[in-house]
Amino acid sequence: MKKPLLTALLFAALPAYAATPLEIQQSYAAEAKQQNPAFKEFSAARGEQFYRAKSAKGSSCAACHTDNPKAEGRHEKTGKAIAPLAPVANSERLTDPAKVEKWFKRNCQDVQGRSCSAQEKGDFIAYLRSVK
Amino acid sequence: MQKILVWDLPTRLFHWLLAAAFAAAWLTAESDTWLALHVFAGYLMLGLVAFRLLWGVIGSRYARFASFRFGPRAAMAYLQETLHGKAKRHIGHNPAGSWAIYGLLGLAVAAGLTGLLTLGGEENHGPFAGLLSYGLGHAFKELHEGLASAMLALVGLHLAGVAVESLLHKENLAKAMVTGCKDGETAQAAASPRRFSAMALLALVLAGGAWQFKGYALETPQQPYRPFVGPTLPDNKVWRAECGACHLAFHPSLLPARSWRRMMAEQDRHFGESLGLDPASTREILDFLENNAADRQLTEAAYKIDRSVPAGETPLRITDTPYWQKKHRGIPAETWRDPKVASKANCAACHLDAEQGTFEDGAMRLPARLGK
Ligand code: HEC
Ligand code: HEC
Ligand code: HEC
Repeated sequence: MKKPLLTALLFAALPAYAATPLEIQQSYAAEAKQQNPAFKEFSAARGEQFYRAKSAKGSSCAACHTDNPKAEGRHEKTGKAIAPLAPVANSERLTDPAKVEKWFKRNCQDVQGRSCSAQEKGDFIAYLRSVK
Repeated sequence: MQKILVWDLPTRLFHWLLAAAFAAAWLTAESDTWLALHVFAGYLMLGLVAFRLLWGVIGSRYARFASFRFGPRAAMAYLQETLHGKAKRHIGHNPAGSWAIYGLLGLAVAAGLTGLLTLGGEENHGPFAGLLSYGLGHAFKELHEGLASAMLALVGLHLAGVAVESLLHKENLAKAMVTGCKDGETAQAAASPRRFSAMALLALVLAGGAWQFKGYALETPQQPYRPFVGPTLPDNKVWRAECGACHLAFHPSLLPARSWRRMMAEQDRHFGESLGLDPASTREILDFLENNAADRQLTEAAYKIDRSVPAGETPLRITDTPYWQKKHRGIPAETWRDPKVASKANCAACHLDAEQGTFEDGAMRLPARLGK
């Protein structure tokens, strides 16, 4: 069986599986190697760039999560408050692989109009983990 | 002839408080926001009438019913004499005026009681909460409005009578109801102003007001006061987590079941988002939505939204339902543009109980009034 599929199955089977942000990042590392044999490691700097960059659709991750991942965000369309994204500010973040995967799916589609690569997801998590 | 005391202090206090309560009730009748004040005005009127009935027995000379016990024939005769400009002057209430008083007291009681029945049926609050169906409450509301209109008409007649009498007998009757004094013989005077009873009446009214509105004085910006707290509606963890992340978890009671079925069937194009919920969560959420949908009429809003949506339509937006649109027509355009509102669907920007789904009267505050 292919590794990404295996991880996906694992996530589906254990919807409330408690993990650490690092463990989740590592599972994306395995997937990234699959997608790109030249993959070496994740970069928090690239993740930060991705976080702030305005997409072709004119949106960004920061549009809802604000410029500062430690701050409370606000949904761009509905005005609803969103709890901080950085694990230092919100210990529940990046602890549920299925939830993380669900939101990457939604938000990448929303902002980029496509799904994110494992490289982008891992960079993103590395950045959030680096926020102190 | 000299100035003598005719109306004792409690009678005058009663008169002006009743007038103020009626005016307050009339002015707040159309507004959900001010329902707490409207209800207080109603209780105040009932309490005042109860006081007046007591005072009609134990009050001073001209306050007693015995001093203005006239039959309907006497009242008609008096009206006719007035038309011909030869009605006799009365120190206390004249026969026509007395009938206006009986009528106003009776209508105040009837309007107050039907108001409480409306409150019980339509809003599920007050002493009749839970005892009447919504439909029955609504029927009482029609009656309540009719009685209030009749009372307004009688107030008009009363004022016209006061004006005519004042001109006819060249004395200011309205002023007499303020000062308590009229021209007359010493022997015709009421014995005493009864200050102590007036103080007791005023203290009771103020205590009632303080009791009713104490919540506003004690509220904090973090915990704004809600005058009416609705029932605890059914909740569901999966629903709240999944449907409450991007926006308020809109309570199922805000749309008919067919709307929820359509929304879950079309979850891959949910207002520009793809929800991508797994089948188990989808099933659980849809069950919860259907079981508590507007058709179940768990709240007043549910009942009214359900009735307002035409049978052939399946709206996906609460904000598209005719009832929602009717209720929010009066909100100025700049309020919708306020960055704290952002979207019509941001119910919680104005409704303090949006999370609970009850959407009670008096629980809404426009952002301008919530403070910057
Ligand atoms: C339209 C608003 C919006 C935008 C834009 C957005 N997000 Fe989110 N994001 C949300 C909401 C809402 C949540 C769920 C919040 C909650 O659970 O409290 C969320 C949650 C997440 C989570 C889950 C974290 C956790 O463990 O709970 C991740 C990861 C995430 N977003 C990544 C991104 C990325 C990457 C982008 C940019 C590509 C992005 N978001 C852009 C609204 C947005
Ligand atoms: C990924 C984000 C997201 C999630 C999750 C989500 N919604 Fe929405 N929903 C939206 C957006 C965006 C809108 C449009 C809001 C606007 O126009 O202000 C919306 C609008 C709505 C509306 C219409 C509000 C109105 O009256 O204008 C309803 C009802 C609704 N959602 C129900 C649900 C339900 C039920 C769920 C759970 C199954 C859910 N939503 C989950 C993003 C989401
Ligand atoms: C900008 C502020 C604002 C927003 C946003 C808003 N409302 Fe309202 N709403 C009000 C006000 C003000 C009233 C009272 C209108 C009146 O007095 O007739 C009201 C009345 C209502 C009522 C009638 C209450 C009753 O008991 O008669 C319901 C139900 C309601 N709103 C539901 C909603 C829902 C559901 C949403 C979100 C989809 C929403 N509102 C969004 C301000 C708002």
